Amino acid sequence: MAAVVEMSNVTKTYGEGSSIVKALDGVDIRIKKGEFVAIVGASGSGKSTMMNLIGCLDRPTTGVVKVAGEDLSELNDKKLTSLRNYAIGFVFQSFFLLPKTDALDNVATPLFYRGVPAKEARFRAMEMLTKLGMEDRYSHQSTELSGGQQQRVAIARALVTEPSLILADEPTGALDSKTGKQVMDLFADLNDEGKTIVLITHDLDVAKRATRRITLKDGKVINDERDKK
Amino acid sequence: MNILIAARLAFARILATKTRSGLTMLGIIIGVMALIALVSVAKGATSGIQDQFKGLGARNLTITGTTNQSITVDDVIEIAREPGVDIVSETVSGRATISSNQASTRAQVIGVDSDYKTVVDPDIFVGSFLPNVENTKNARLIVLSSSLASDLELDAYSINSTIAVGSTEFTVVGILDDADGFGTQGSAYIPLDTAFKYVAVPPYLSSITVQTTNEEIVPEVTANLTSLLKARHNISGEREADFVIVDASQLLDAIGTVQQFLSLLLGGIASISLVVGGIGIMNIMLVSVRERTREIGIRRAIGAQQSQILTQFLIEAIVLSLVGGIIGVIIGEIVAYFLAQLGEWNFALSPTMILASLGFSMFIGVVFGVWPARTASKLKPVEALRFE
Repeated sequence: MAAVVEMSNVTKTYGEGSSIVKALDGVDIRIKKGEFVAIVGASGSGKSTMMNLIGCLDRPTTGVVKVAGEDLSELNDKKLTSLRNYAIGFVFQSFFLLPKTDALDNVATPLFYRGVPAKEARFRAMEMLTKLGMEDRYSHQSTELSGGQQQRVAIARALVTEPSLILADEPTGALDSKTGKQVMDLFADLNDEGKTIVLITHDLDVAKRATRRITLKDGKVINDERDKK
Repeated sequence: MNILIAARLAFARILATKTRSGLTMLGIIIGVMALIALVSVAKGATSGIQDQFKGLGARNLTITGTTNQSITVDDVIEIAREPGVDIVSETVSGRATISSNQASTRAQVIGVDSDYKTVVDPDIFVGSFLPNVENTKNARLIVLSSSLASDLELDAYSINSTIAVGSTEFTVVGILDDADGFGTQGSAYIPLDTAFKYVAVPPYLSSITVQTTNEEIVPEVTANLTSLLKARHNISGEREADFVIVDASQLLDAIGTVQQFLSLLLGGIASISLVVGGIGIMNIMLVSVRERTREIGIRRAIGAQQSQILTQFLIEAIVLSLVGGIIGVIIGEIVAYFLAQLGEWNFALSPTMILASLGFSMFIGVVFGVWPARTASKLKPVEALRFE
C-alpha cells in the first residue's frame, strides 16, 4: 500500500552555533494508508517537531519528508499550504476552533479556503456535523459548546476535506477521561472506516488505542511496535 | 476565501468588540463629519453670494468712480455711443438722515435714472419701483429696501405714506425684497434729478451700469470703455485710472475662486483628521493581529494562503473605515443641515461629496490596513500556532 507519510533520515535543528538544538536526529518512518499510529514520547522528545513536519507546517533541515507523495522541501509556501488543506485534517489539543464563528462555518472554513462555493461548503459541513451527531449545534459558537462538543466540531473540520490523514495532537489532553474515551472511540471508528490517523501523545493509555506506536526519545525513534492482528 | 465571508467575519468582529471598534472608528467618523460639514459650509456660504451676483445680470458691467468726482454725466453720453452698448443707467449716491413718524436713521440714498429698473431689475416686495421718472423730474418719490423699511418701522401698509429725507418730504412708492438683490440692503432709491437736488452734486456720478447687447461682447466692451474713459479723464501710461469696471462674470469668477479655495482649505484640514483616524485604525489592527496570532496560525494550518489572510485583515480594516465613513457622512450631513439653517443658505445633499468621502475612507482603510494585514500574512504557521 502507498505510504501517506515517508521520512528518510530526517533531522531538524533549531537555533545556531552553540545554542543549536537537535529536535529530530535521523528519523526514518513510513506510515501507510489506513494505519492508526501513535507517536509517543516525553516532552522534548521531538514529538512536536514530528507533528509540524507530518502536518506540512515546517520543512526538515536535512533528509526527505514526503506527505501524500509530495517532498516538502521542494514546495513553496503556497503549495505547502495547499498540501495542508488537501492532505491533512488537524485535530488540536485545545480544539482551536475559530472565534466569533459558528460550528457550521468552522467546519466549512477549510473548504472556503479551497475555493468551494459557500453554499456547497456549508452543505458538506452540515453533513459532517450530522455524521458526528452535532447537527443541532451547528449555529453555536465555540464558547457555547462543551469541550467534548468542541472537539467533535474540530474533528468534523478535519474530516470535511477528506484528507489523506488525520493528524491529532493530544486530542484528549483537554478533556475529562469519559469524553476523552468517547473521542478515542470516534478515532477507532474512523480508522475502521479506512481513515489514516496519526496521533501525537505522551499518554500511554491513549497510545494503546492505536494499532502502532512509534516512541521517540531525544529526537530518535527508539521503538516502533505494531499490534498483532 | 470568498470576500463576502471575510466581510461577514469583519462585521461579526466589529459587533463582538463594539467599544473597541467604536473608538477605532471615531477618528474616521470625526474626520468624515468635519469634511462633509466644512465643505458644505464653504459651498453654502459662497453660493448665496453667487446667486446674488447672478442677479446683477451677465450682460451688465458696472463702472464705479474711485473718488467722488471721477465719472460724470458727460461720460454717460459718450459711453452710450459706443458699439455694443445697449442701455446705460447712471446712479448717484449720498448719505442722509431718513425719518418716519416712528423712527429715524442714517442711510445711503441712491439716485437712479429711468433705465435703472430695466438694467438691474430690482425685486419688489410691495408697491412698485420708481415710475418712469423722466416724466416726473424732481418728483419726491422714494423706494426703500426692506431692511431700511423695518429700521424705520414701516410695513406693507406704509405705501404712499410720507417720510423725510433730511428735511424734505418724500412719498414711499415701494419696498424692495432684499433677499434676492445684491447691494440693496439698507438703501433708499429716489429719482436721479431729485438726488442731484438733495443728496449729490452734479455732474458727478457714483456709478454707471452698462447693459451690453449680448453676453459674449462684455470683455470687448469693457476694454473699449476703459480706453474711452482713460482718454476722457486724461489718464495715460502708468497712472492709475480713477474708475473701476467690473462685470458680473469677473465677480462670479472671483467668488468661484474663493469658494474653491475655502473648500480646499477646509477639506484639507478635515482630511488631516481622516489621516489621523487611519493611523488609529492601523494601530488597533496591529494590536488585533498580535492578539489573534493563534487564530491566524489555525487558519494557516487548515489551509489559508498568505494572500487569503492578507485579504481578511485588509477587508477588516476597510470595513472599519467604511462603516466609520458612513456614520461620519450621516452625522456630517445632519451637522451641515443645521449649519445651513443657522447661516440661512440652501442645504443640498451632494452625492459627489458623499461618494468622495466614502471613497476616501476606503482608501484610508486600504493604506493603513496593508501593513497590519501583511504582518498577519507573514506569520509563520508553526510559531503562530504555539502563540499563547
